[in-house]
Amino acid sequence: MTKKKTAAPKKQSKPSSYDHRHSEGACVDLLRQLSAYIDDELPSDICKEIRRHLGACPNCEVFIASLQHTVTLCRHRPAPQLRPVDRMNMRRAILDAANAR
Amino acid sequence: MRDIAPKTPPQRPAMQEPDGFDRLYRDHVDLIYRYAYRLCGEAESAKDLVQETFLNAYQGLKDFRGESRVSTWLYTIASRACIRMRRKRKGQPEHELSMEEFVPTSEGEFRLQIPMDGLSPEEALQNKELRKALDHAIEKLPQKYRMALVLHDMEGLRAKEVGTIMGLNERAVKSRLHRARLFVRRELSARGITHHDDHTSGGSHS
Repeated sequence: MTKKKTAAPKKQSKPSSYDHRHSEGACVDLLRQLSAYIDDELPSDICKEIRRHLGACPNCEVFIASLQHTVTLCRHRPAPQLRPVDRMNMRRAILDAANAR
Repeated sequence: MRDIAPKTPPQRPAMQEPDGFDRLYRDHVDLIYRYAYRLCGEAESAKDLVQETFLNAYQGLKDFRGESRVSTWLYTIASRACIRMRRKRKGQPEHELSMEEFVPTSEGEFRLQIPMDGLSPEEALQNKELRKALDHAIEKLPQKYRMALVLHDMEGLRAKEVGTIMGLNERAVKSRLHRARLFVRRELSARGITHHDDHTSGGSHS
């Protein structure tokens, strides 16, 4: 049907240009930029580089997915609503306190 | 020539115009309660913070020049009040989060996951364990990081506005936000939450 788009990530024993000890080098550089990447604030060439890294580094791929999930969960975590009775009582308390000063 | 900007409504002294305060309260109390709840993690402290915020707003209404949006102004008052209240309650110093502590040192640490594959965020959040873990992680954040995360990722403000509220430049906001996210991610994934959904299991517990 369609051609393969890239010659990329064959699951070989070792991806070419990265040393995956994950405590230094490319993975750590990536770690520092992940929020900017998620928030789409990086220039396109850096994004491209990151995507290339992710294609070759399953660990970083999992890491970024979990960070993305974290942000998504935060964005969707609902907060409880204030009950009308509390809204009313608080208004009264604020005005009382203001007048007492 | 006096520079009086007549556009935004809450500009007249509150004492002379009680309606001004009522309008301010009515239009923003839900917003500030939501923010306060997210900062405090529970209802009673959140209500205290809301009251403190609107009391300060009531007294400062006459000085509000409309240079920022009313909501930004109220977020700022609430944030400062929260810092003051927390300082009073417990004097423990805030600890800094360093980037180094988030560098995974093992494969396992790198590959920790959060169980939401194939689920919408709303569905994932029906998992009570996950919900509690998320709340707990946010609560555990040092205050200044929590504030950045809550304002940006939960209240949905832009980094620039968060900076105005917290008195920081955008770069500092983003740095705090990034560390806060890494912290919450680590807390969440390290809990090893299993993938069971409350909503599909017959709903015996809420």
